Amino acid sequence: MVAQNIAFGIISGIVVFSALRMVTTRNIVHSALFLVAVLAGLSGQYVLLAAEFVATTQVLVYIGAVMVLFLFGIMLTKAPIGKSMEMTGTQWPIAAGVALMLGAVILYSLIDQFGSDRLTEGGKIYRTADVGDEVFSTYIIPFEAISVLLLAALIGAIVLARKD
Amino acid sequence: MIVTTSWYLVLGALLFIIGGVGLLVRRNPLIMLMCVELMLNGVNLSFVAFSKALGDIGGQTVVFFVLVVAAAEVVVGLGLIVAILRRAPGSTADDLSVLKG
Amino acid sequence: MEALLAFTRPPLDWHALAPELTLLAVGTILTLVDIIWDEKSKQVMPTLAGVGLLAGLVPILTLALDGTDRAMFGGAYMVDDFALVMKALFLIVGYIIVLMSVDYIRDGDYYENEYYTLMLTSLLGMLMMASSRDLISVFVALELLSIPAYMMAAWRKGGRRSNEAGLKYYLMGVFASAIMLYGMSLIYGLTGSTSFSSIASAMALNDGVTAMSILGVLFVLIGFAFKVSAVPFHNWAPDTYEGAPTPVTAFLAVASKAAGMVALIQLVFVAFDNHEVIQPFFWLIAALTMTVGNLIALRQTNIVRLLAYSGIAQGGFMLVPFAVAGQASERALQAIVIYLIIYAFMNLGAFSVVLAVSRKTRSGELESFGGLFQYAPGLAVAMTIFLAALAGIPPAGGWFAKFGLFRALLDAGGAWAATLGVVVAINTVIAFAYYARVLGQMWFQPIHEGDERPIKLTSALGSALVIALVATMAFGILPGLVGHFGEVAVLSTLGR
Repeated sequence: MVAQNIAFGIISGIVVFSALRMVTTRNIVHSALFLVAVLAGLSGQYVLLAAEFVATTQVLVYIGAVMVLFLFGIMLTKAPIGKSMEMTGTQWPIAAGVALMLGAVILYSLIDQFGSDRLTEGGKIYRTADVGDEVFSTYIIPFEAISVLLLAALIGAIVLARKD
Repeated sequence: MIVTTSWYLVLGALLFIIGGVGLLVRRNPLIMLMCVELMLNGVNLSFVAFSKALGDIGGQTVVFFVLVVAAAEVVVGLGLIVAILRRAPGSTADDLSVLKG
Repeated sequence: MEALLAFTRPPLDWHALAPELTLLAVGTILTLVDIIWDEKSKQVMPTLAGVGLLAGLVPILTLALDGTDRAMFGGAYMVDDFALVMKALFLIVGYIIVLMSVDYIRDGDYYENEYYTLMLTSLLGMLMMASSRDLISVFVALELLSIPAYMMAAWRKGGRRSNEAGLKYYLMGVFASAIMLYGMSLIYGLTGSTSFSSIASAMALNDGVTAMSILGVLFVLIGFAFKVSAVPFHNWAPDTYEGAPTPVTAFLAVASKAAGMVALIQLVFVAFDNHEVIQPFFWLIAALTMTVGNLIALRQTNIVRLLAYSGIAQGGFMLVPFAVAGQASERALQAIVIYLIIYAFMNLGAFSVVLAVSRKTRSGELESFGGLFQYAPGLAVAMTIFLAALAGIPPAGGWFAKFGLFRALLDAGGAWAATLGVVVAINTVIAFAYYARVLGQMWFQPIHEGDERPIKLTSALGSALVIALVATMAFGILPGLVGHFGEVAVLSTLGR
């Protein structure tokens, strides 16, 4: 268990630090790279939680596909690289204050409710095949629906982004 | 000292909050989009942690759907941002002022 | 290999899925036709889409005649009478919007074929929403209906306003869905299940409301409050409505809002049955939404923005019955369903008139309606009927919707319901003021820019107008008609 504790601590530190830097840095490419660090760290956490399917898809879909899209987006829009970028809107202290208060409430109630819950030890570990069974039986309709959604997103995004 | 569910939940909540604050504070549409991804990752971590704690597979299945939908959302978002920035390079969300609330 | 062989195909009820499958098939045909004939296919596209939507009504009819509630996947996907009524409404609304779009999209140099594909996709999501009784299905249905809508709002590519409308709608939408998902994760953690019926029974077992369950329920409801543009989550709506192409605005204001309401109905009446936080929450946002929507509508000079804020206020009226969901659940559900059906037709009618007038005047300002009665008396009378309906004046349909609200509030009784009733009454009066302003403009003001050419109605737009008009009047004169739909639209779980 000690190994898991240490791994959890190290990865969490990296994830939280990267998330904070992602939100605060002025350089948009750095932001994207910090997001990669967050995503990779979370993939590690999923391994610790014995969720192999989620851990692999996290790497494949998020780091492999979504982040590449982001980098393309940065290049296509010729977003200013460097420190010229405007940071914040005018009302940001109010927004941040409200969000932080809400955050404190969330954290308090999380610890209040689940503080003493233990992760089930030695419970059934769900493999990729189990997730597959679930997706193709109980959730077959949502599964078909997201395939339609992906096609629609593809068609629409091409129409919107093409030059004409 | 044993890692309990709540540790993962707190980490997930932290990511969710950081993403939420970022979305409200930052004004570059691309960064706002990244903040949404951060929030969704917080959600995913909570789902997986609950899935493990409950010994139920449902949480992992949700994450699969969230991942795919997030990818579709990013595609659409980038399409919109490319369309808008092509017309007005260097826009921030505050410059979107032709329409006033 | 073993895992592969161990898998058994889930039993699927093809008849129950027929409406969705029809729509999916039509969408696929549309895409194929577009690919094969490209430019030449533009003429047939709207016809195909419209016929497809009407074809979807056939299986709904056979399912309604059959009359049994069909549950799939342990109740995760439910085809009951409520779902059927809502699906029929979505299909008819979709058909009317296709009629409204035909000439607008054709004349405006838009991408035509893709537009109809996206609209069908979004409608497919709405059909799915009406049957979803599971957090995952609801989430996927919500995204399936929203993501095409984000793109449709930005469909006028050349116009900066439209681009902004799309981006603003998109950013608010994804933010809302992230919040909703976080709420869903908390609820999943508390109840250990994603299906509504299990959530309801688990919540009934966990006596004592915890901070966590309040947060979870609130986050999920807030996610949908964005969708139905309830105050204070309404910021995106007026800008998006004004910037988006007008038929898309009608789509967002009617179909998309109805889908959000359907989701709220299922969540409130099935999943979070009688959770303590629901009634105060809805009391507050219903009162806020009505009041703020109406007060801001008073100051609008642009007709589309006026309709947008009036739509927000109407949404507030629809949220009222949720506030008494506990005491008079059956009446409340009926009131919402009836309001939704009537609202759909009267609002679509008003948007059709706006479309027809702006085809000539090329303006969205209120002044462009000046003297409408003198050169287009038919349109002026139609608009008068729709506005009277929206304001709730008999014999146009809207009065029955408001009547339903008061009936639900009376049934519930008590000080809170009574106060809310007073708020509804005050807001009805405020709404008179701005609807009357449009009427005054049409009937008594001089003709806009002295241009007396009559307005030529295209056949498609004319049919949309006639359908909306007939439905609005029919619901007003024969309220039993829509009342019947309200009564049969019973969620199959209500009789638990």
